[in-house]
Amino acid sequence: MEHLRSLFLDEATELLTDLEKGLLKLESNPADTDGIANVFRCMHSLKGSAQMFGFDSINALTHQLESIYQAIREGKQTLTPPILEVTYSCLDHLGKLLNDPMVAGTTLQLAQVHLLEEIGKLAEAENVLTTGDHVLAPEEGKGSCWYISFVPEENILQHGTNTLYLIEDLLALGSGLALPYLVKPLEWEYADAGKNYTAFEVLLETSCDEAAIREVFIFVETECELVIRPFPVNFFSFTEPVRQQVYRAHTIDRPMGYSALSTLLMPGAHLPIDSIITSQRNGKGSVRVPSERLDDLMNLVSELVTTQARLTLFATESTVGELVTISENVEKITRRLRDNAFSMSLIPVESLVVRFQRLVRDLSKELNKEVIFKTEGTETEIDKSIIEKLTDPVLHLLRNALDHGIESPDKRHQQGKPRQGTVLLKAYYSGTNVVIEINDDGAGIDLERVKQKAVATGIIRSDDPLREDELIQLIFHPGFSTAEHVTGVSGRGVGMDVVKRNITDIQGEIEVITKPALGTTFVIRLPLTLSIIDGLLVSTGSTRFILPIAAVRKCYEVETTLLENETHHQVVLDNQRIPVFNLCKVFTPDEPVPFLSQVITVQYNKKTFGLAVESIIGEYQAVLKPLGNRYRKQDEFSGATILGDGTVALVVDPNKLIRNLTGKEETRISIKPI
Amino acid sequence: MAKNILIVDDSESIRELVAYTLEGSGYNVVKGNDGVEALQKLNGAEFNLVITDLNMPNMDGIQLIQEVRKKEGYSTIPILMLTTESQQSKKEEAKAAGATGWIVKPFVPEKLLDVIKKIIR
Amino acid sequence: MNEQTELLQSFLTFRLGDEIFAANVSKVLEILEIPKITRVPRSPAFMRGVINLRGSVLPVIDMRAKFGLPTVPDTVNSCIVVMNISLEAQTIVLGAVVDDVQEVMEIEPESIQAAPTVGTKYRTGFIEGMTKLNDQFIMILNLDLVFSDEEAILLQEISESDVPAEKNK
Repeated sequence: MEHLRSLFLDEATELLTDLEKGLLKLESNPADTDGIANVFRCMHSLKGSAQMFGFDSINALTHQLESIYQAIREGKQTLTPPILEVTYSCLDHLGKLLNDPMVAGTTLQLAQVHLLEEIGKLAEAENVLTTGDHVLAPEEGKGSCWYISFVPEENILQHGTNTLYLIEDLLALGSGLALPYLVKPLEWEYADAGKNYTAFEVLLETSCDEAAIREVFIFVETECELVIRPFPVNFFSFTEPVRQQVYRAHTIDRPMGYSALSTLLMPGAHLPIDSIITSQRNGKGSVRVPSERLDDLMNLVSELVTTQARLTLFATESTVGELVTISENVEKITRRLRDNAFSMSLIPVESLVVRFQRLVRDLSKELNKEVIFKTEGTETEIDKSIIEKLTDPVLHLLRNALDHGIESPDKRHQQGKPRQGTVLLKAYYSGTNVVIEINDDGAGIDLERVKQKAVATGIIRSDDPLREDELIQLIFHPGFSTAEHVTGVSGRGVGMDVVKRNITDIQGEIEVITKPALGTTFVIRLPLTLSIIDGLLVSTGSTRFILPIAAVRKCYEVETTLLENETHHQVVLDNQRIPVFNLCKVFTPDEPVPFLSQVITVQYNKKTFGLAVESIIGEYQAVLKPLGNRYRKQDEFSGATILGDGTVALVVDPNKLIRNLTGKEETRISIKPI
Repeated sequence: MAKNILIVDDSESIRELVAYTLEGSGYNVVKGNDGVEALQKLNGAEFNLVITDLNMPNMDGIQLIQEVRKKEGYSTIPILMLTTESQQSKKEEAKAAGATGWIVKPFVPEKLLDVIKKIIR
Repeated sequence: MNEQTELLQSFLTFRLGDEIFAANVSKVLEILEIPKITRVPRSPAFMRGVINLRGSVLPVIDMRAKFGLPTVPDTVNSCIVVMNISLEAQTIVLGAVVDDVQEVMEIEPESIQAAPTVGTKYRTGFIEGMTKLNDQFIMILNLDLVFSDEEAILLQEISESDVPAEKNK
């Protein structure tokens, strides 16, 4: 029974989250019938299970709420702000009840009674029936969805057909996505440019009929296998999140298949932090998994990757020919397993957004400011272990934005700004990083006051000449706060230094850009994953290093003497002058310098830099192991990995490396150490 | 750059009609009377598409298609054939010989342009 | 000595230069031959680097350097002592390169004297006591304290020790 109870608690918590999400949506669009139906459904489910498990007080509350929303659904009542307010309060109260179902605590009991009264009043109040239609979002002329599998024969190109034109034509019939794959494993040495090895699966949403789809392939019917089937996912449009989901599951070595795709795209995906694949309302097609099992899986995958590296090394050195093929296959499968396991621990930023929205809403009311919270790119996914640690810093940044950033409506009006301020949360991928930006269109950070405060607290001297970007960094100093009065909201100086530390704990970086009267943006950069990265194995001297492949642009071979000649260590590559750091000198200065160096270009701060190494050994899947506390000052290494031969290679963080190397070349005023 | 199309047909009216339609849409057109002439025109010149009738003297369309596919530098060039409704088996034969697609005669000029867009871009 | 009631009275003795040190076996995990050590660039000289210990990355410290001795090439007797160190509520595993490892011996508590506070080469605090065996002084180390201050070389400032070391061979 205990086991079932905890299941209920899990479900109920999820329902409450859904409910909150639904309410927030309804608030901006109160006439949305789908939204109301959704809220009603949540109430209903919650009530039902609460009854079963003896949570009578929850039952009582939800029963009342359910009737109100039923009435709203039937058009007998409208959703008014007071109803919404009460529902929010109930939500919070229900959350507390889940922890204390017998309502033992008197505060809870009182709250319960009070809420029931309020709801009762609202239920009886007479409301004006809205005349005319509820404004529904018009159904666009959606057609239907199709799954098309196009497997051209190997010689199709010999007949002048360009298969890509066919796919283009197909997609032009509506909107959709194309998923190419190799029909069989390709050995590059034997590949013939005149032969076709690629087949396609296409998901297409179109108002055209099947005949029109078939028409696209009219010239090649005899030269391919063509399958056109209706695709069962109906309320569907190929939004970016959907595309991303599909692309992520897609691999180039085999087709995904009709059933896999339809399972993947069943509606209703959202990912709570503690369990992985969604459980839909209908309960089909997904599984709850405890996080520890996922962690175990990841550990096993890491071990497999390491062992497979040994196998590969052994195979290349052995004389048994078939062993190489087998170990290559093992490597491919391991890579897929790794990607698969990884994708299971990725969670979209979306899952945090509900909390943030709630915070912005509550805070803006409390501070009497009008603020709208916008998000962009919340389908961007982050490893779950990182996301958990991200919540607090982002919450704090949001609090700051609302408290210190956005001005009061009157003040904004005076400045010619819209009375309503905007806080924007943006998430996107950039190279090897996930970037989260928090931007407000408020007053910006007052650098004069920052300077004064820093002088007052002794962090700097008043005559220290500081650049603007250095002044801004002062806000991350502990004990620093420029709030004129300490609001209950942001507190005094507990803020930015803790935020920065939280971010560096997860191997991230935080940057601030601010413009007076225009607003402030905090940019948080995080590594995509903490465990296994695709790397390029290189060496300087007798030490080997891994550079994350995602950071690598191009590789060049250069005579080492060229690296020394120029004054600023710049080399001309592809007609551009690029500053190059000779890692043989930086990492292994005591070892002889090679005649030829390999220069690898990377991006840093939108500029291209070159890193010269002795040799590039090859690609390598690196299981990242921490270097430990002793080496935390050497932050240009994000960790180490064990190579196939058992020795240790160091994994380089190109961003930090270049930052450290370029920092050394400038002399700056040093700020008094903490 | 404009695309170059070779039209091969023993009927002058067809050649002119096709040339007129295609040139009006920005293509460069070269005309050939039959298969033999066509192969000569192809010697080393750059073409993006060959359109050929099937019934021609000296060398008919099917043979032309085969020869083009054997010719170095043109082995994968898109080839469209002009067929009439009654020539189904010829269509399959031409396909087997290596044609990329077909247009059915009589055709409206717009249809010709549509089909060409399917094949070359 | 102090209140280490659960401690075994067994110690591992090892040599650095001319001196013998001892550490409680409860802190020693294993002893390794020296494999290829990957040096981490731009790290302090007494950090030799990292090695692979059954799939984990183990930091390795040059014990001689830590004790202010000049570094010498490893010999066939040199080895790495893998230890469990408690630091600020955390336990970490470290390796340290020593000149050679002697034996595991029982030391009677009664034979342990307090470490002298002046006249020694080393800063005290991390030396829990001394004992003598076969005319050789053995210094018993508190490993947690040895490694607690990451930067510190454990050599006293020369000016602080006016009296030369009293040890005799």
